[in-house]
Amino acid sequence: MNQQNNAAFEVESLNAWYGDHHVLKDNDLRIDSKCITALIGPSGCGKSTFIRCFNRMNDFIPNFKLSGKVIFEGQDLYQPQVDPIEVRLRIGLVFQKPNPFPKSIYDNIAYGPRLQGIKDRTKLDSIVESSLKKAAIWDEVKDKLKKSALALSGGQQQRLCIARTLAVEPEVILLDEPCSALDPAATSKIEELIINLKENYTVIIVTHNMQQAGRVSDNTVFFFNGVIVESGETKNIFTKPLKKQTEDYITGRFG
Amino acid sequence: MGKHFQREIERLKKNTLALSTMVEESVQKAVRALTKLDSGLAAEVIDNDYKVNMKEVELEEDCLKILGLHQPVAIDLRFIIAVLKINNDLERIGDLAVNIAERAAFLSKHKKLHVPMDFSGMTREVQSMLRGSLDALVNMDAKSAYEVLLADDRVDAMNREMFIQVQNEIRKNTSEVESLIHLLSASRHLERIADHATNIAEDVIYMIEGEIIRHKAEEYQSDISPDISSDEA
Repeated sequence: MNQQNNAAFEVESLNAWYGDHHVLKDNDLRIDSKCITALIGPSGCGKSTFIRCFNRMNDFIPNFKLSGKVIFEGQDLYQPQVDPIEVRLRIGLVFQKPNPFPKSIYDNIAYGPRLQGIKDRTKLDSIVESSLKKAAIWDEVKDKLKKSALALSGGQQQRLCIARTLAVEPEVILLDEPCSALDPAATSKIEELIINLKENYTVIIVTHNMQQAGRVSDNTVFFFNGVIVESGETKNIFTKPLKKQTEDYITGRFG
Repeated sequence: MGKHFQREIERLKKNTLALSTMVEESVQKAVRALTKLDSGLAAEVIDNDYKVNMKEVELEEDCLKILGLHQPVAIDLRFIIAVLKINNDLERIGDLAVNIAERAAFLSKHKKLHVPMDFSGMTREVQSMLRGSLDALVNMDAKSAYEVLLADDRVDAMNREMFIQVQNEIRKNTSEVESLIHLLSASRHLERIADHATNIAEDVIYMIEGEIIRHKAEEYQSDISPDISSDEA
């Protein structure tokens, strides 16, 4: 991967199980800081489990077991003294289906900051405005901040969810198939947004869309059966992958 | 990408082979017309060029369609890019065969020249390069593609030798200047065909290995196996 960037994450010997089912098998990976890393692979290969390891979202799943290290800025996120809530504030996750709260647009964005104890109205106003601007949706919603977020279109809801993630000022944004429920126009807006985000954030994205991985990411990681088969610069993976398995997957010969 | 895409790729392969066969035949005929001073054969090459041109356009349209509709990646992408470029080279080789046929047509109407140079040696070398580059494409064989690259230097040397001999001949025999210039042009056209065969070989290597090796002669010459290098020496 690109050696000019610092590592945001270092994953070492990461294994994960759901009960007896061994879903991630001894993976090592370095994720570059302020870069977009795409995780690709067929359904069930472990990429969603993998992305959720970065902000301990798997903690909620009964029977989930993990071994190995996920080191974020020098700190292993799975050490007992680490507070998972704190982790999720610094490392935000956007889901596949837009999931706005059944509240107003304003309250969706202000939700996180309020939990963090921010009560000052002017401060909240400014967080809401800047988050919606960063998520490239401000112009579309600025006159209806009090309306329900559920009235927005799918593409707008997804950008709202990204804005909601940005409102708590994370350092990393994880996106688990953020465009799979969106049409091409909305997809293109989200992709543009993702590319802009990398100026200030480390971005990791799971996608089933090979063209999307090619368009937005700097680095690509290919998973198969819970194992990282190949990782490297996206431009190399999509023109001359080193492994036959990678080539077969991205050219659609299996998977 | 499923069966439909694989069918498109197979069709593209077939069409590329069809074009390369047409072009190879044109070169063969043009060279024969030149060595046998056969104006009938020369006319045949000239008349058939439109078929090569039409096939070239058809192939390019196929490539563009596949790129637009399927957005291929990795080996599929490299294959289509290689075909796009090889297509171009094949069409240019077809044009050069026509140029040679035109020289042959001129020379067949004039007094036979006596240049000591072994012209047939050069035509053999060029035809074997062309054949080698197309075989490399058909068999996805990088080794024979590398052999083509080495042969190009030999053809260049032959063309330079031809230049010197024609120059000497012109000094001795001013009455044949026009024919001699036509002969030199034919040699130059052959040398250009060898250059296009080299391009094709380089594109085949790109397709197989994913490395662009153009303008890196020293590197690939030291990379290849010793048994090929010793042939060159």
